[in-house]
Amino acid sequence: MQRAAHSEGAALRLDTPTPPAVELDQVRRIYRRDEFAVHALDNVSLTIPPARFVAIMGPSGSGKTTLLNLIAGIDHPSSGRVAVGGEEISSKKDRELAAWRARHIGLVFQFYNLIPVLTARENVDLPLLLTTLNKRDRRAHVETALRAVGLGDRMDHYPRQLSGGQEQRVAIARAIVTDPTIVVADEPTGDLDATSAEEILNLLGELNRRFGKTIVMVTHDSRAEHHVDEIYRLDKGILTGVEPGRRRLA
Amino acid sequence: MKYAALVVKNLARSKRRTIFTLISIAVSLFIFSALVSMPAVVNRFLADPAASNRVACHNKAGVTYGIPEAYKQAIAATPHVEAVVAQSWFGGIYHEVADQFPNMSVDPEQVGAMWPDWEIAPDALERFQHLRTAALVGPETMRRFGFHLGQRIMLRGTIYPFNVTLDIVGTLNGKAPPSFLVFRRDYLEEVRGRPGFVDVIWVRVDRAANVPQVITALDENFANSSAETLTEPEAAFYGNFIAGYRVFFRMAELMGILVVFAIGLVAANTAAMSIRERRTEIAVLRSIGFPTRTILAMLLAESLLIALAGWLLGCCGAFLLLRSITVQGVVGAIQMPTSVLFIAFAVAVLIGLVSAIVPASAAARRNIVEALRAVA
Repeated sequence: MQRAAHSEGAALRLDTPTPPAVELDQVRRIYRRDEFAVHALDNVSLTIPPARFVAIMGPSGSGKTTLLNLIAGIDHPSSGRVAVGGEEISSKKDRELAAWRARHIGLVFQFYNLIPVLTARENVDLPLLLTTLNKRDRRAHVETALRAVGLGDRMDHYPRQLSGGQEQRVAIARAIVTDPTIVVADEPTGDLDATSAEEILNLLGELNRRFGKTIVMVTHDSRAEHHVDEIYRLDKGILTGVEPGRRRLA
Repeated sequence: MKYAALVVKNLARSKRRTIFTLISIAVSLFIFSALVSMPAVVNRFLADPAASNRVACHNKAGVTYGIPEAYKQAIAATPHVEAVVAQSWFGGIYHEVADQFPNMSVDPEQVGAMWPDWEIAPDALERFQHLRTAALVGPETMRRFGFHLGQRIMLRGTIYPFNVTLDIVGTLNGKAPPSFLVFRRDYLEEVRGRPGFVDVIWVRVDRAANVPQVITALDENFANSSAETLTEPEAAFYGNFIAGYRVFFRMAELMGILVVFAIGLVAANTAAMSIRERRTEIAVLRSIGFPTRTILAMLLAESLLIALAGWLLGCCGAFLLLRSITVQGVVGAIQMPTSVLFIAFAVAVLIGLVSAIVPASAAARRNIVEALRAVA
């Protein structure tokens, strides 16, 4: 897929040593709930190399989504350093983060979060509205993304006209259409039946293999272990271990 | 412009709600425009600059008490006075009680000199001065009753126990009140039995600068007489004449503002509901990278579009309606001045922006993580 026309080109990155896709250094995230302090993440350090498909797993309340939000740049760490694609984002201001997310992050949510009044094509077009691409080029990018997720024949369908699995495919197309540095997915199979969940995991795996996309996925789904390269396990905000996924072992 | 489709799609999300909001704003702006137009018509009438050289001399106790007709000669002899025309109100109706319009009798000799801004055609003026039953009619009244030149009409007396039969010899044009009808006072006097009293004596002064001097001279001249006078500039005269309606106009303006305020609150509530329902979507847009100001602008644009569509429907509807039908006011037909269109436009913009600014601003700035968690 062609990178969408953002101000930063891809060529520069080819000429320099490839930095880790994600790097967290002693990251803490503490939420204030009234007079209580909730330690969602406690001193987490990890490095995810580029072009990997990794899963973050752990019980509810272990800090998985918090970790994902920090990587996606929609939350700030209380302390520590977060870098994505070699760029430190923990010190960026909200406005800078918004522009950064538009260029580097593709987000996939558990409940798809498509805009119901927009067709699949228009939903996927949303991130491209933030680029300098003209309408014709945007249309070409959107169609490429939708074909890549197997929805070439559903482009003008509204979300209500699609199954859950198809909606999630549209959400994935929306996440990859700008050719982001990293795709983050929060429980992408959490609202799907077994067959659709398997299809989505296969699709994410294929995107990782074919296009070299770094994919960081939070999941409870044990089937994910078969599809990913590494599994990062969290418990009570602490990174308890990193183990290879079965895809790697295979 | 690339966000316009998104704005329009969001407006179509709940068509019923959008339509009802649009209609409520349209109705409120219709009422506002119509009510605000009433005082505007009067203000326009009173602001007529040509009136500055005319003064009205009438009984100090009130117009209805009358002053002797004989004052005319004394007034005409006053320095700086160019023309003098006595006027008596007739207040007749055409057929039905509802057929009311301002009609009065005037001395025919100096009508042209007194009201050059009425632009009466010379041949019409000549016929008016030669035919005892002649009448000059404003265009609004001509259109309202389907009158035509040469037509003989009968006005039924409401103050006097008799009717007058008149021949329409011309029309009042220019800045004449468009609903006025004037006929000859000598005809009315003959039917009344020549009581020798008139309601008002109109005086045209040579220059505007001499108006205060003439006013003082006239009132001093008739001081301590049986009918002391109060002389005042034309605008003040009409202003006092319609003073009784001012409270009504103020109330009309107040009502218009209250209606707009009430609808503004309704629009604010609707905007708040609409935005609250989309908090997750807004959070998703922000997580994709949409800047806060872009989201804020889109939300405000939605609200603004509804308000402007309401303006188009309501205000322009009132404008066209008041153009196509005649709503008789105190000093003529009520028509919406163009300025009211602009005022209502500004009000619509205000409704659009103010009603959405608080919920839109809150939604566009809300913490993304919290907004996304609220859904999950």
